[in-house]
Amino acid sequence: MIKSPGDLADELHELPPSSAINLKIVSDSYFDAIRGIVDIFANKKNLNVIYITVAIPSHSIIDVLKILEIDLTNIYFVDCVSHIMVGGAKKYKNVLYVESPTMLENIMLKVEYLIRKSDGKNNVIVLDAINALGIHNNMKILSEFLHIFINNLRAKDAYSMVFTMEEFSTEEISNMMKLVCDTTITIGGE
Amino acid sequence: MASENIIERERCVTGIDGLDNILNGGIPRGNTILFTGSCGTGKTTLSLEFLVHGALADENSLFVSVTESSEKLTTNVIPYDFFEESLIKTGKLAFVDMPVIYERLGLTNVEFSLEDVDTLVRALGNLVDELSVKRLVIDSITSVCYRLKTEEKIREFILKIGKALSTRGCTSLLISEISPSADRYSLYGVEEAIADGIVLMGNYERRGDLLRTLQVVKMRGTVHSRAKYVLDLTPAGVLLVPLLKGGGGL
Repeated sequence: MIKSPGDLADELHELPPSSAINLKIVSDSYFDAIRGIVDIFANKKNLNVIYITVAIPSHSIIDVLKILEIDLTNIYFVDCVSHIMVGGAKKYKNVLYVESPTMLENIMLKVEYLIRKSDGKNNVIVLDAINALGIHNNMKILSEFLHIFINNLRAKDAYSMVFTMEEFSTEEISNMMKLVCDTTITIGGE
Repeated sequence: MASENIIERERCVTGIDGLDNILNGGIPRGNTILFTGSCGTGKTTLSLEFLVHGALADENSLFVSVTESSEKLTTNVIPYDFFEESLIKTGKLAFVDMPVIYERLGLTNVEFSLEDVDTLVRALGNLVDELSVKRLVIDSITSVCYRLKTEEKIREFILKIGKALSTRGCTSLLISEISPSADRYSLYGVEEAIADGIVLMGNYERRGDLLRTLQVVKMRGTVHSRAKYVLDLTPAGVLLVPLLKGGGGL
């Protein structure tokens, strides 16, 4: 059980590139997980961060990162929710938008594009969160997506971090994550 | 093993990674490929990228535009990250308007005769020789076929143009326009039977989402995937990922 962003970054630092990690986040540790990955771990390893937002829009995450005083220079977003919000959202230049969280292939394509643009720098890809993708997609297509997506990322030596919100997880999601990820790390809780 | 006896044909590497993977290394050099699909599926964009990569690889590349002016087309090439203005200035990448060719050849009749077909094929062959073209795109072959009218003349044209280009070692993409509901790969049904390869581009609707797709239906001279892929048109070029099946029923 990990308690702090620093401890999370230390644990991740031990893992080789191309690792796929299921990050189980318990209640109030969401921001600790974000800081641990996109700030401490990414900086230590000199990685670009590609952050896929499904649970909340990218502008909300960007606002949080600003409050946490995290440098946004090497952080890029694939936003899967803003398009489906009534009235739309503010647009940022480091954000690529996917029309709907059901367009799983387009998520892969946007990530592929950002990896190509990273000029040889290695990447950590954060998927926030698998539970939110599960709202919009059935388990069969979601498993197929994760299997192809993570294996593609492995081939590119990228780190994959898949968030699971512990309180909203199901047995099906847990089994799927066990199948596609190498390691499970829990952050927060008792 | 039987595969050890297969002589690998030289490839024309398209430069579009996903497509080269599907084709096991690229289009067999000299093949004439039908790129077919309804409007908005990315046929022109993909064919332009094929030519830009060719020009960057030092292969003279020619775009013959039948419907759109070259000027308008070049503005579509520029957003590519890898595009270099010098490719056009040095003649590595050239654009020719088909109506200009018609005019110079005196092909003013609405319907071409078999003699006109010969004249047109000869003129295109000469153009390929003069410019030492290794990659050619005709956008669209359907618009040329409008002026041929009969199946016999279309067959004659495709066969002769295919042969003329192939013998010159020129790899060619013929763009074919079909309606979204078409049950064949070309408007006249003749083009698909004669071409060395067919790449079908489409729009695939799944639960209200419209995805751009690409599928290599046929390609002589290589083993290839026949699966459907989803594509995205980006400044880094055309990107492809497999279409998810979601447990069947698609």
